Amino acid sequence: MFNVTRLIHLAPGAGPDALLAELRAAAHLSGATRALVEPTLPGVRNGGDILLHLRFTGSAAWTAAAPQFAAMLDNPSVVHVDGAEYSGEMNRFETERQPGTVYRTLLLRVADDTADAVAERFEADLRLLPRYVHTISAWQLSRVEKAIGASAWTHVFEQDFSDLDGLMGPYLMHPIHWAYVDRWFDFECPEAIVRDRVCHSFCRIEDIA
Amino acid sequence: MPDGQVYVVDHVVTQPGRGREFVDRYLAEYAPGARERGMTLRDILVSPPVWFTDQSNTVIIRWSLPSAQAWWEMTWKARPDASLGVWWTAISSLVLERSRRVAAAAADVDGLCDV
Repeated sequence: MFNVTRLIHLAPGAGPDALLAELRAAAHLSGATRALVEPTLPGVRNGGDILLHLRFTGSAAWTAAAPQFAAMLDNPSVVHVDGAEYSGEMNRFETERQPGTVYRTLLLRVADDTADAVAERFEADLRLLPRYVHTISAWQLSRVEKAIGASAWTHVFEQDFSDLDGLMGPYLMHPIHWAYVDRWFDFECPEAIVRDRVCHSFCRIEDIA
Repeated sequence: MPDGQVYVVDHVVTQPGRGREFVDRYLAEYAPGARERGMTLRDILVSPPVWFTDQSNTVIIRWSLPSAQAWWEMTWKARPDASLGVWWTAISSLVLERSRRVAAAAADVDGLCDV
């Protein structure tokens, strides 16, 4: 799958409704097999006001649709966009987990001077999180092919959560997160390789594809 | 909310002959801010318990926090504080190698994982 994510930051006071309607109409006709165009939920950090996430069977459909989306985002009400384009499939826990109702995405940049072997250990640690956090029903860790926005994002780590409590509770509170994986993000730990501010964004799952 | 104290353990191998200076500076310059972020200093262990003049000391510093939530609140205060990164860089001339680990009592592991 070819995946596209845009975190759209609106100008103060700008309502999201008109842009949401435009983006949803375009997403519905884009050929995406999964399309989320939703207001972000309270609690995002650097996550924007609208989360747009499209999945295509290949990059050609996005190449065709991209100019239309770019034109919509070239809009006085849009002050900033972070985003990523990347390939990969969601990993799903089909049977033993509750289906997802909240989609979360994390855009991050691994420091340029990080050795490949270290980056691979970091990725392996991120992959541990879905195993231990039982409110995750699907997930994907991807290296970014094209980044836009505040940083040259290198990775997207995304999940479907059972609900908002599943993101704000078990995901944050399981020791696999705060006692193990977080050291890669914590500049007080010598292992830290994610030094730029991350984008942590989430919205309800309402697939309009 | 899971119960159980959380421990933050700094394990530092100092540059030869710099052990005492490292501990003094850690206590004077780092510890006050850490306390303000909610951490309680449990102990500082020095191995061997000799202030070497020409060899490294290993210093193990153990902090505690009352819960995982308190750990997050601590780190949310620390991350925006650029002076902390400056301090760790400044102290690096006294440090040969270091690690920071987060731990809990064995009896609390199951409870902490039951989230």
